[in-house]
Amino acid sequence: MRKIEAKSICKKFDDLEVLKSIDMTVDEGEVVAIIGPSGGGKSTFLRCLNKLETINGGTIIIDGETLVSTDENGNVRYADNSSRIACRMGMVFQQFNLFPHMTVLENLMEAPVHVQKRNPAEVQKEAEALLEKVGLLDKRDQYPLRLSGGQQQRVAIARALCMKPDIMLFDEPTSSLDPELTGEVLKTMRNLAEDHMTMVVVTHEMGFAREVATKVLFMADGYIQEQGTPEEVFGNPKNERLKSFLKSILK
Amino acid sequence: MDYIISIIPQMLMGTVDTLRLFFITIVLAIPLGILLAFCRVSSFKLLRDVVAAYVYVLRGTPLMLQLLFVYFGLPFIPVIGIRLDDFPAAVLAFVLNYGAYFCEIFRAGLQAIPRGQFEAAKTLGMNYAQTMKRIILPQVFKIILPPVSNETITLVKDTSLIYVLAMNDLLRTTRNLVQRDFNIMPFVVAAVFYLVMSMILTYGFNKLEKHFARWD
Repeated sequence: MRKIEAKSICKKFDDLEVLKSIDMTVDEGEVVAIIGPSGGGKSTFLRCLNKLETINGGTIIIDGETLVSTDENGNVRYADNSSRIACRMGMVFQQFNLFPHMTVLENLMEAPVHVQKRNPAEVQKEAEALLEKVGLLDKRDQYPLRLSGGQQQRVAIARALCMKPDIMLFDEPTSSLDPELTGEVLKTMRNLAEDHMTMVVVTHEMGFAREVATKVLFMADGYIQEQGTPEEVFGNPKNERLKSFLKSILK
Repeated sequence: MDYIISIIPQMLMGTVDTLRLFFITIVLAIPLGILLAFCRVSSFKLLRDVVAAYVYVLRGTPLMLQLLFVYFGLPFIPVIGIRLDDFPAAVLAFVLNYGAYFCEIFRAGLQAIPRGQFEAAKTLGMNYAQTMKRIILPQVFKIILPPVSNETITLVKDTSLIYVLAMNDLLRTTRNLVQRDFNIMPFVVAAVFYLVMSMILTYGFNKLEKHFARWD
């Protein structure tokens, strides 16, 4: 089943055209890794998918529901329930963005209880199960700033999962972690992939993209320059831009 | 010593007026400041500009002048011209003035919150009111505590300006006693009174800061 369909996405910041025309689809259970040089539009594209950025042209369909569309005259129209559609996707940020004034458990329970209006006792049970899964149940009553970066990021993943999302978006989840802590976060994401979560991951971790992703997109200069299975993209790159990118990061 | 004890009841009476003005100003000026701060960061340019002009005028002129204007000047303004009694006039001037200062403090606090906090709340489906109430404002309160503490202590001392409206606050009572008895002791007692009020406030704010420090 098709989870995300993005067609001719265009995004400008003032005069700077960051996304020129992006087409992408994600099917259920797929793990899509988006790689490419900094400033190539990877994060911007991810943020367009859940409306953190509004697009200047194109269509995004999430789970069969149109989030935003563009008519023949180029008028962009967001659906009335676009916010609701957007928050079916969980988001994990580079800077974690945990709520510092709430404990770990409160961070997880906040939105399910106050936005989804679910039963607090049930949510707490699920939250604790998720913390167990990411190996942080013993930190449930700690405040986030007392945790290491890797632990904070795992809490952030658990917080997003607590909303029971269909799709998880990761925006460079390990880029602000030192190498030692990167592994524990990648392991959590790997487990998630094994549970068949649909994932879109913007990353500089080529090892993760190669081993976990089902599809790799190489994005540069506002376009998807090449896409395919990890074997195709890493083993037999065709695009010149991709070849030089891979050469430079493997040095 | 006997003299000091003999003047304390009168000075306490004066302190009641001082405290009344202090508390009413705090209770009204803080919500006004929050409201103005939201206007100051809103997406309506006109609203932003109007509030910016308001803050500019109220911060750029002396509180004493504003006090005199509200009490003596307001009755002469066409249409809205009203004559206020001395206490309501003092409250109005103080609330308008302190509202402007609190507005700037809250604005700085709001703008100090990283954008990621708003984005995280948004991706979790929280609306504007929920985001503000549950995520942003609790963090803002922590940030603004030191400057608010500063303003509050300044307010205790600024209340003495109502002296010019011939109200019998702590300072005017003190001066009356000094002139009546040819004794400067009341000045010393008044200083102690002000210091005690500041001390209580400092203690309270320190407690609050400790409370908010628990998540660092």
